Amino acid sequence: MNRGLAAASVVAVAVASAAAGTEARMPVVQGQRDLQGIWSNATITPLERPKDLAGKEFFTEAEAIAYEKRVLEESNKDRRDGTPEADVGRAYNDSWWDRGTKVVSTRRTSIIVDPPDGKIPPLTPQAQKAVSARVAVSQRPAGGPEDRGLPERCILWPTAGPPMLSSAYNNNYQILQTPGYVVIFIEMIHDVRIIPLDGRPHLPGNIRQWMGDPRGHWEGNTLVVDSTNFTAKNPFRGSDRNLHLIERFTRIDPDTILYRFTVDDPTAFTRTWTGEVPLTKTPGPIYEYACHEGNYSMTNILSGARAEDKAAEEAAKKGLR
Amino acid sequence: MIEMRIKLAVAIVIAVASALLNATVAFAHHAFAAEFDAKKPVKLRGTVAKMEWINPHAWIHVDVKDPDGKVVNWMIEAGTPNTLFRRGFTKNSLAPGTEILVDGYQSKDGSNRANGRDVTFPDGRKLFLGSSGTGAPYDEKK
Repeated sequence: MNRGLAAASVVAVAVASAAAGTEARMPVVQGQRDLQGIWSNATITPLERPKDLAGKEFFTEAEAIAYEKRVLEESNKDRRDGTPEADVGRAYNDSWWDRGTKVVSTRRTSIIVDPPDGKIPPLTPQAQKAVSARVAVSQRPAGGPEDRGLPERCILWPTAGPPMLSSAYNNNYQILQTPGYVVIFIEMIHDVRIIPLDGRPHLPGNIRQWMGDPRGHWEGNTLVVDSTNFTAKNPFRGSDRNLHLIERFTRIDPDTILYRFTVDDPTAFTRTWTGEVPLTKTPGPIYEYACHEGNYSMTNILSGARAEDKAAEEAAKKGLR
Repeated sequence: MIEMRIKLAVAIVIAVASALLNATVAFAHHAFAAEFDAKKPVKLRGTVAKMEWINPHAWIHVDVKDPDGKVVNWMIEAGTPNTLFRRGFTKNSLAPGTEILVDGYQSKDGSNRANGRDVTFPDGRKLFLGSSGTGAPYDEKK
């Protein structure tokens, strides 16, 4: 055996015994890996790899620290060096947010792991058209609540997805396991995903749901959740009603679940793509976020839009004189 | 006291810099630009009447004396209650009667509502100090 092979064998044995040690510490519930607890996916790692990190899949530890410092400086809402428009958008002192301050513990430079460039694959022409139409609606003064985004309407957040991704705050999830179901309680807008494990078929195709129709099963120690029956009203990065989402939950150590999702939507994307985010154990508690309780912002946005209409009308009249 | 100031002339250099910065602005519950008017910056000085701990955003009600001495109530949009609470903010943090200065932008419909761009106490202390982390376990972990 040459020296290189011998060294590789030593490393392999060490890795295997470390894995066995972790395995022994893994809790079990109802004969399956226990995923229960409160977990957070808050992170500053972007979904897509930034241009300046092209070709770089992982940070070194020092690079991760430097990147975190840079992102926090750039997103610091205490700064006042932008235009009035930027200043309005940067409202709130930075400490009012809770989007995390660290890159993911795997030190990946993007949530997307496939395609290897860390980018969402190109949209199909049909999906591009749908996205452009939505952007046009969002840019005009809102005629009604339906013209505004789902988070503003307190309907759904990217935090809930699915797939579930880090957002501005409330990035907390509670997972519960019962004999026939896995339940994920999402802090943002207190959404709940109830995932049956009994192998029942998906709902008929004419039933569409905001968060899709999930079915779960175990592949070894990994919980796999297969969701279909989405609605085009909740597009995920350009997806439409044909989205088929596969999520995988693997508890890789007592404090971490590795969450992977694969997006398959042939009418929207030119290929499938996959993302990965570690969920980190957090003590909680989770608070109720009853988004409709006092969503004054929606009234204010609509009254603002009417004020804009009126101003435009008056300007037009003056122009006619 | 209400000081209104209008800044219309903006150097192109600043606009370009701001466009770059905008790329990193985090996704919010709603677009502030749809609710508040960049052409209506306001500076208010008043006393806290009450704080509404309400989802999805808390609102600070402030009594502000206008130039004629008449008291006008302004509503200042704040962060989400969950985050405020996690950062140690409680109902005692901004008690009624506390004097504050608000530097923000008025609502597009011209009502007495504003976003609290900067909220400070008369001695210059910020209501919320920027922090490098939330103190949550996932921030401590590395």
